[in-house]
Amino acid sequence: MSGAEFGGVDIDLLADYIGGALAGTPDETAVATRIAEDPDWRTAYESLTGGIDLVSAELGRLGPEPMPDELAASLDAMFRNPPPAMTVIDGGDTTPRVPARRARRRLRWAAPIAVAAGLVAFVGFGVDYLAGRDSRSQDTATSAAAGSAESAASPQILSTGTNYTQATLGGAAAQTLTAPDLNAPAAPKDRSGASASVPLGRLDPGQGLQACLDAIQRANAGGMISVQSVDYAKFDGSPALIVRFTAANGAWAWASGPECGTPGSGPATLGKVPVR
Amino acid sequence: MRSADAPSDAELLRAHVDGDREAFAELVRRHRDRLWAVALRTIGDREEAADAVQDALLSAHRNAARFRGDSAVTTWLHRIVVNACLDRIRRRQAHPTVPLPDGSRTDDRPAGVEPAAPASDHDTALVVREALAKLPPDQRAAIVLVDVQGYAVAEAAEILGVAEGTIKSRCARGRARMALTLGYLRESPPPGGNPEAPGSVSSEPASATPLPGAQDRRDRG
Repeated sequence: MSGAEFGGVDIDLLADYIGGALAGTPDETAVATRIAEDPDWRTAYESLTGGIDLVSAELGRLGPEPMPDELAASLDAMFRNPPPAMTVIDGGDTTPRVPARRARRRLRWAAPIAVAAGLVAFVGFGVDYLAGRDSRSQDTATSAAAGSAESAASPQILSTGTNYTQATLGGAAAQTLTAPDLNAPAAPKDRSGASASVPLGRLDPGQGLQACLDAIQRANAGGMISVQSVDYAKFDGSPALIVRFTAANGAWAWASGPECGTPGSGPATLGKVPVR
Repeated sequence: MRSADAPSDAELLRAHVDGDREAFAELVRRHRDRLWAVALRTIGDREEAADAVQDALLSAHRNAARFRGDSAVTTWLHRIVVNACLDRIRRRQAHPTVPLPDGSRTDDRPAGVEPAAPASDHDTALVVREALAKLPPDQRAAIVLVDVQGYAVAEAAEILGVAEGTIKSRCARGRARMALTLGYLRESPPPGGNPEAPGSVSSEPASATPLPGAQDRRDRG
């Protein structure tokens, strides 16, 4: 900080002294000595002390700031009434095939995922699937919250390359939706084709995709969304992520651009239509 | 199993990890106002603050099992929220965007950021918020926690993951910077002149000179 305003006094150092940040250090004594002996420092000290007191008083008067009702309600709904836990089913066999201890670890992990939102469970699933992790040790997850083999349809990760338009967005994906074979050898990005869609590369399953889905959820304003499929495709000729989901306000097909989920871009919506 | 009395935060978090679907919602309800206030005043924009809070709480929800109990649950929640805010601020600074034609804000400046205070305090509150929003994010976060929300320096240090001395320094320098921005620093009384009352706005141009952030002394640990 410049000390030009007070005859070259180091205002940062003086502020540290006033704020107690120099307590017990050699600088504390040095600053105290300068305040006692140097009129410029003494003047600056008196002025800054008064100014800081005023600032502190004003800050203390800003008062409480309750969370807006709509945000509070949204959070309440998000955490209190989660959708049914989403479970990855391997060929319809709902019996956990992992050791009990492993299963418990999985359950402890799976519970918050499931409770957070269907989309979160989807991302967890998607990451495992596309990242090519050894799925045989975790191919069956059950909901700890439900305590049973509660299941739901597995969300799909597709890379159809279909060029959707506003008119076709609400239709079924051009590619047959098939459940991934979680026991298949890993070649995840080849299978998904997600990383091959370079403009959409940042939306590969993981943080990027999750941020995008979060942005869509917020923009949709229908509470939590439960994702049925994600298709790395196009919309009106431009690279687009096609997300099909349901929420309290119905079923939707949503086309988002590559910037989806980045600050300032929100869901980067290219198109959206209700699916009836 | 909950006791007859209200469960503690730690008990709620444990219950959530163990599968109680109500527990985390209750935890959020307990602390949401303070978390919101911290987020709003740190990030300076209601929409961004809402996003940050949602992201942070989802993260806390998912990662609750990793909470080791080294700090209070509320400290942990605040840490996640503040970090989410600071991450957003840094991303915004790293990827500045062009203001939208409809006036929607996209930069780091708040715009109509907080609801109106009572009329008599409105102007003062507004300029104080603006001065707060102009601080470097680290100083802003420290001041929000200590001076606005009333956290002890030690707790703020724990939330931000820095030493107490660093919090004191960030707060002190931030207050000094705000005092300059707000014109709260008075010059020495001119010989034979009329000294200004303490705290009055100096007419001296130098007293309102913005502080160059690049010259900040390194925070003390």
